[in-house]
Amino acid sequence: MAQKKGFPMPLEVEYPKELEGWEEMYPSHYLFSKERGEWENRQFWYQDKIHDPEPMPPLDLIFHEAWQISLSQYTTRVFCIPPAQGIAQRMVGCYMFIAPVEPPPPAIIEEKAKLFGKRAFYIFEHYPELWEKWLNKFQALGRQMADVKIPEELPKYVPEELVLPAPQGYYASYELIEAFNMLVNQMFKGWQYHFEMLNLTYLAYLMFADVARKLFPGISESAIGMMVSGADVSMFRPEAELCRLSRLAVSSPKVANIIKSDASAEQKIGELKKTEEGKKWLADMEKVKNPWFYISCGSGWFYYEGSWLTKLDIPFSYMKSYVERLGKGEKIERSLEEISRKRDEIVAEYRKLIKSDEDKKSFEDAFKTVRGIYQFAEDHLFWVEHWLHTIWWQKIRDIGKLFVQRGMLKEEDDIFMFNRFEVPELIEELVIAWALGEGIPLRSKYYMAKAEKRKRILEAARKWNPVPALGIPPEEVAEPFTVMLWGITTEKVQEWLKGMAVVPTEVTELKGFASSAGVVEGKVRVVKHLDELTKIEQGEILVCPTTNPAWAPIFTKIKASVTDIGGLTCHAAIVCREYGVPSVTGTGIATSVLKTGDTVKVDGNTGIVKILKRA
Amino acid sequence: MEARGNRLEAEKFLALNLQPPTSIDLHEGLVMPYTLWFQKAGKEALHLVGGKNASLGELIRADIPVPPGFSVTTEAYHEFLIDGDIKEKIEKILSPIGLQDVASLEEASQRIRELIRQTPIPMRIVEAICSNYEALSQVCEVPDIPVAVRSSATAEDLPGASFAGQQDTFLWVRGCEEVLDKIKSCMSSLFTARAISYRIKMGFPHEKVLISVGVQKIVDARAAGVMFTLDPLNGDPSKVVIEGNWGLGETVVSGQVNPDKFVVDKVTKEIERTISQKWTECIFHPEKGMVCHLDVPRERQEIQCIEDEEIHELARYAKRIEEYYGSPQDIEWAIDKHRPFPLNIFMVQSRPETVWSQKKKEPVLGKKSAYDLLMEKALQRIKIGS
Repeated sequence: MAQKKGFPMPLEVEYPKELEGWEEMYPSHYLFSKERGEWENRQFWYQDKIHDPEPMPPLDLIFHEAWQISLSQYTTRVFCIPPAQGIAQRMVGCYMFIAPVEPPPPAIIEEKAKLFGKRAFYIFEHYPELWEKWLNKFQALGRQMADVKIPEELPKYVPEELVLPAPQGYYASYELIEAFNMLVNQMFKGWQYHFEMLNLTYLAYLMFADVARKLFPGISESAIGMMVSGADVSMFRPEAELCRLSRLAVSSPKVANIIKSDASAEQKIGELKKTEEGKKWLADMEKVKNPWFYISCGSGWFYYEGSWLTKLDIPFSYMKSYVERLGKGEKIERSLEEISRKRDEIVAEYRKLIKSDEDKKSFEDAFKTVRGIYQFAEDHLFWVEHWLHTIWWQKIRDIGKLFVQRGMLKEEDDIFMFNRFEVPELIEELVIAWALGEGIPLRSKYYMAKAEKRKRILEAARKWNPVPALGIPPEEVAEPFTVMLWGITTEKVQEWLKGMAVVPTEVTELKGFASSAGVVEGKVRVVKHLDELTKIEQGEILVCPTTNPAWAPIFTKIKASVTDIGGLTCHAAIVCREYGVPSVTGTGIATSVLKTGDTVKVDGNTGIVKILKRA
Repeated sequence: MEARGNRLEAEKFLALNLQPPTSIDLHEGLVMPYTLWFQKAGKEALHLVGGKNASLGELIRADIPVPPGFSVTTEAYHEFLIDGDIKEKIEKILSPIGLQDVASLEEASQRIRELIRQTPIPMRIVEAICSNYEALSQVCEVPDIPVAVRSSATAEDLPGASFAGQQDTFLWVRGCEEVLDKIKSCMSSLFTARAISYRIKMGFPHEKVLISVGVQKIVDARAAGVMFTLDPLNGDPSKVVIEGNWGLGETVVSGQVNPDKFVVDKVTKEIERTISQKWTECIFHPEKGMVCHLDVPRERQEIQCIEDEEIHELARYAKRIEEYYGSPQDIEWAIDKHRPFPLNIFMVQSRPETVWSQKKKEPVLGKKSAYDLLMEKALQRIKIGS
């Protein structure tokens, strides 16, 4: 087949030798195949750099398996967005590639249009009460997952109370099999809920953005973002809780001094436990840990990111800086009223600029439609990607511990090297050996070698840069996420084509979105892995793939931020504007081109990052 | 903080309690001044001070910083014509002129302008002008203050009757003699061949178009230019578009350079900028004693000619002026090189924007409800291939 646009076709990708065997890590339907080749060649596949800038650990694929089904079904079968179909996924050398599926035949579009009008509008009109229902059922689901019992050990003999006076009837072997199956089911269900209103939220946003652009042809994406974004959303609660705990600490000098010290979180907790005030403060922290510390240190998509729960040093380092700032008399909280008031002012000011009364009415109508539901875009993120995922990591690690206990795996995290179809195989072999009795051999070496090999492949994949896209870009796209979330545009596709020829060491300048004004020069700190976050020093320039609200407190430390991914409304941009820190987002290549220690000039007015001196 | 410098000068005027010499209009029983300080004559005095000067008066009333100055009224012009006995002579020269006759048009223009040049301004009017000019110099604390002398016709700047650029401007005029001389030149600019033929074409009777002249302290500009209270490219009402160059604004107004361009969002204050290579600037040359076009030194050519804080201040004034007039405006501005921010910012002209203000009466969104808009969006496909 002729290559019109310059991207390779799916089966033409060449993989480095070090990646040999990567295909075994994922379910076989995730690979391009000859049997589906004709269809696959017709779709446009691009790397999902927003969620998966890094190679995919096999068990973490579960979130993607779940979203492929859920996102797509809401568009095609539930709310029936007329010309749109779902988003298909494939793995390409450990990287996730996705494709908005070509539109359905015209007759189907007509059928769907009728269903869409009725179903979608019901949701918009009833959003507030639907959100209440959503939150209730989601929290119930999370609690169920938290209640799934993972046996702490496979006992030599089952305890007597499970046998007498009446046998329970099922034991650790079955409990372990059931536990994993339940966790998988709950994760899939959580992701079904995830998209319950999200497709419509994005569609409403796109509609409102269109309206705004028709009225104000030069309006920026960030201005549109400012008009719809909410201040009082769950995603900002963790940070708010840290502020509250910091204020509480300041009310007792003893507690404040411990929080301010340079000790580790563990040592600080030890110290706090020695005093009454300290104990009281700790008890208060324990009370809010669930759910507000169930927040990933990264995006929530990778097991190794850790959460505030597992990396208490991170929330403690934020609280240290908050307590210090409170000591200097500074205000640390984001004022929600202030943010809401500013947003209302912005909307009112744009409205005032509209000439005709009819337009004013349409604008208000459109705004009301998006404003109600837009909260969902920010609220669901905390509950699904952070809270539910953090519960999942805990449970899966408990299973991992059992494998280590029985000598099947070296470390508990090695369980993430097996995909969700393989983990049951490990569990089965484990419980068979337990059931069979004494002296039963386990294939430990086989599993350990497999885990090691996969870790090596993932490491090699990390150093490999796959092509950004495969196949022929389509003329048009109707799928709302492709446009809004991944920002696929003609320019983006052209940029990728150009970018394929770039040699990182020859780059002297990066271009991105001018997302927070100001110009500064300084030293770069590249933070690719989230453990490196605490290494940031005062006055450095943060260079990272993307940021999330868990990072918010470090924005008081940095001079500027530069990201690979994200537009004018991404988290980094919003927080930088709030703190008055210059920011350039969506450069595409900052983390691969810049090195820690490089001196750069970040121009948040023009979106240009100049490399002044290489480290 | 805004306009404080300007206000100080205005206050000094009040303290001087200047009473402009006047004449009595016997028909209307009204006092008709020969000169009027800008702040005393707004749109109600259009017939006396012309469009440009009246708009300066309006700006001052809206608390916008405008360099101080005064108008020489149409009454002064009128009495100049009567006293010098030239009104009828002019009419006689013009009456046989037709549009096609280019040569005689040119000849008529020459003769009228010569007539005006040779006719002395009546002494009472000379006294009025000179006393105002001296007061202006005194208030600005500069002897023989450099001024801009501009014509301001009564039919000019009206929507649909754009006489823009048809009259003259003289920059850096100093001393009473020279001011009087340039005032006459401005008056005679009403009779350039172009102006005459334009009036014939548009059907304005020559005798109905009177002229006033503005005498205004000149802003020794570090940078200057024009701005629109909407984006003239697409009519976006949420933008202020500012264009500027080094030096006086004439290079931008006349399109001699590619100016720096700043598109400022009225709501979010975001600035979108295009910095151009600005190779020439119009500045006062102290040795030559005149305004010249000079090459901009290489190192300054591609530097943003106004600071961000100045951009924001300009945009703020643009919004205020648009609100005051209730319609989109086309504004000339200048930044004084001798004053500190924000006292260095001045508006020197504002007139109605004519292109977009005329259209756009129809709703852009076609009276659609959110349901219609969403349905439309849901059916839409986004072009990404080319």
